[in-house]
Amino acid sequence: MSQTGALYKAEAVAGYADVPLEEKQRLFDEVKADMRFPDYIYGCYECGICVAVCPSARFYDFSPRRIAQAVAREDAELVYQQMQEDIWECSQCFSCLRCPRGNNPGGIITIMREVSINNGLASAREALEGYTRIIYKIMSTGTQVSPDMLQPDAFPDWGPEVKDVSDKLELWRRALPPETHHTTTTGWEVSDKTLVELYLIWHKTGALKMIEEVDEGLHMILEEVMEERLEEEGIEV
Amino acid sequence: MSSDRVVVVGGGPGGIEAARGVAGLGLEVTIVEKLERLGGTPISENYAALTPNFEDAEAAMDRMIEAMLALPGVDVRTSSTVSACEGESGDFKVTISGAAGDETIDAGAVILATGFQHFDPGRETQMYGYYEHPDVIALQDLEAMLKDHNVVRPSNGEAPKRVCFVQCVGSRDRHIGNEYCSKVCCGVASKEAIEIRKLLPDCKVFIFYIDMRMYGYWENQIYWPAQEEHHVQYVKGIITEVLKKDGRLLVRGEDTTMGRPMEVLMDLVVLSVGMEPSRGTREMAGVLGIQQNKYGFIEAANPPLDTVTTSREGIYACGAALGPADLEDTISSAGAAAMKAVSLLRSGKTAAASS
Repeated sequence: MSQTGALYKAEAVAGYADVPLEEKQRLFDEVKADMRFPDYIYGCYECGICVAVCPSARFYDFSPRRIAQAVAREDAELVYQQMQEDIWECSQCFSCLRCPRGNNPGGIITIMREVSINNGLASAREALEGYTRIIYKIMSTGTQVSPDMLQPDAFPDWGPEVKDVSDKLELWRRALPPETHHTTTTGWEVSDKTLVELYLIWHKTGALKMIEEVDEGLHMILEEVMEERLEEEGIEV
Repeated sequence: MSSDRVVVVGGGPGGIEAARGVAGLGLEVTIVEKLERLGGTPISENYAALTPNFEDAEAAMDRMIEAMLALPGVDVRTSSTVSACEGESGDFKVTISGAAGDETIDAGAVILATGFQHFDPGRETQMYGYYEHPDVIALQDLEAMLKDHNVVRPSNGEAPKRVCFVQCVGSRDRHIGNEYCSKVCCGVASKEAIEIRKLLPDCKVFIFYIDMRMYGYWENQIYWPAQEEHHVQYVKGIITEVLKKDGRLLVRGEDTTMGRPMEVLMDLVVLSVGMEPSRGTREMAGVLGIQQNKYGFIEAANPPLDTVTTSREGIYACGAALGPADLEDTISSAGAAAMKAVSLLRSGKTAAASS
């Protein structure tokens, strides 16, 4: 029996390594130390209203109530298990703010995700693996999806029209009324000033550091791009 | 021969408030208490602090008693019981039995305020081991320890590291026969949980419940602070049994909202015992010849809009003699009983006046 408040030892779950309780407690303490935490969990009625409004709960074995309960009960075992599994099933829509006690399960998940990423948990790497292209695009260009990503081989489920569009991409884009959309490598034209500001934000907020924890290769490429651009501006980071 | 005197039976919060009410309205009142000291269950069962405001129970009761005694026309009979009540409304002959013998006095009306007693957790079954394990105690046992500011495991005198409360012991149970909710135990347990957390900050406190019933303002007077500020852990699921293991207590139940069975070790198990009619309430129902409900509490004649009139004209009841009641309910119904008794005597429509 643990003395951390955990009522049970979490079941051994395949897919991630178990770690000593002290490590689970350390991760949970990091979640609790976040300045947002006291505003995100008060006490839980365990009423299930957050599950009732949760879109993810309809499709996955996912329950925002269990997230709120686990942290309210200070169950470090369960919190760890959730950081390795459940938190990546949340769509961060914050419908769970419907909570009558004023809890914010989605916000707790935000913090748990950040702690997972900052500590390089396997689940974080796995969850973000499929997003390498998106992360690269958004962090290097400031726009999320660019027209030249619309290749038939990349999105076969989008149907045959994708090929027609990609063949004459520049033409299609120039047909759009806003001139800032006459681009193919970015979603829209991003000014130099905006890009420099974004690079600074990624650096200062630790977002770049988070990437380092989950994808070293991607981090190296991003750092190179950003540092070069910032150097041109005479900014040291 | 009509009398304007009201006899109040029972010297607890309800009885004191009823006597205060009658005297305040200008009639004479005799308050009869079986024990040597006024104050009722909060005093005789060593309550530390009142629910929900944490006021010292002894100080609060003494304040009430003092206010009552300051009024004219209050006659106090401690170490006494009512052994007979003949006659009719407006002209009762009430026999008071004390150390000095019996005395029969005239009274126009009677208010019964004999209250409740704590459910005996060994009465029907011993599944929680109240009489078997010294570290299984009841709410009032913990009150006595809190009053001494010394919460320990009775088995070894050491401070507990894990304490749990088991709700609804002797309440809401068809097997036991007490099908009602005792109303106060959720609040009292939460109040005691807060007191333990304050006294022993390293001690984990759990409350195992069926559903938390924190009426009205108790919600954020006790329940929310217990959970949010004092980190008392509320687990929905009731304990089936308490077993001894390695010098500690193993409690078994289901964590229903997590959907899994649980077996956890505790140092101290507190049974949140409910209310039953006190011996005084049962006996006085017979002496006064008034109807009881199937649980032995006094039956109110016309609920819900008249909660204090009994089956015998001129006799009223208040507080937990009528059924489970918190202090707020008790004080309110005591005031209603005093008002109805005085109204009857002033109306000139008692049975004695009409005959």
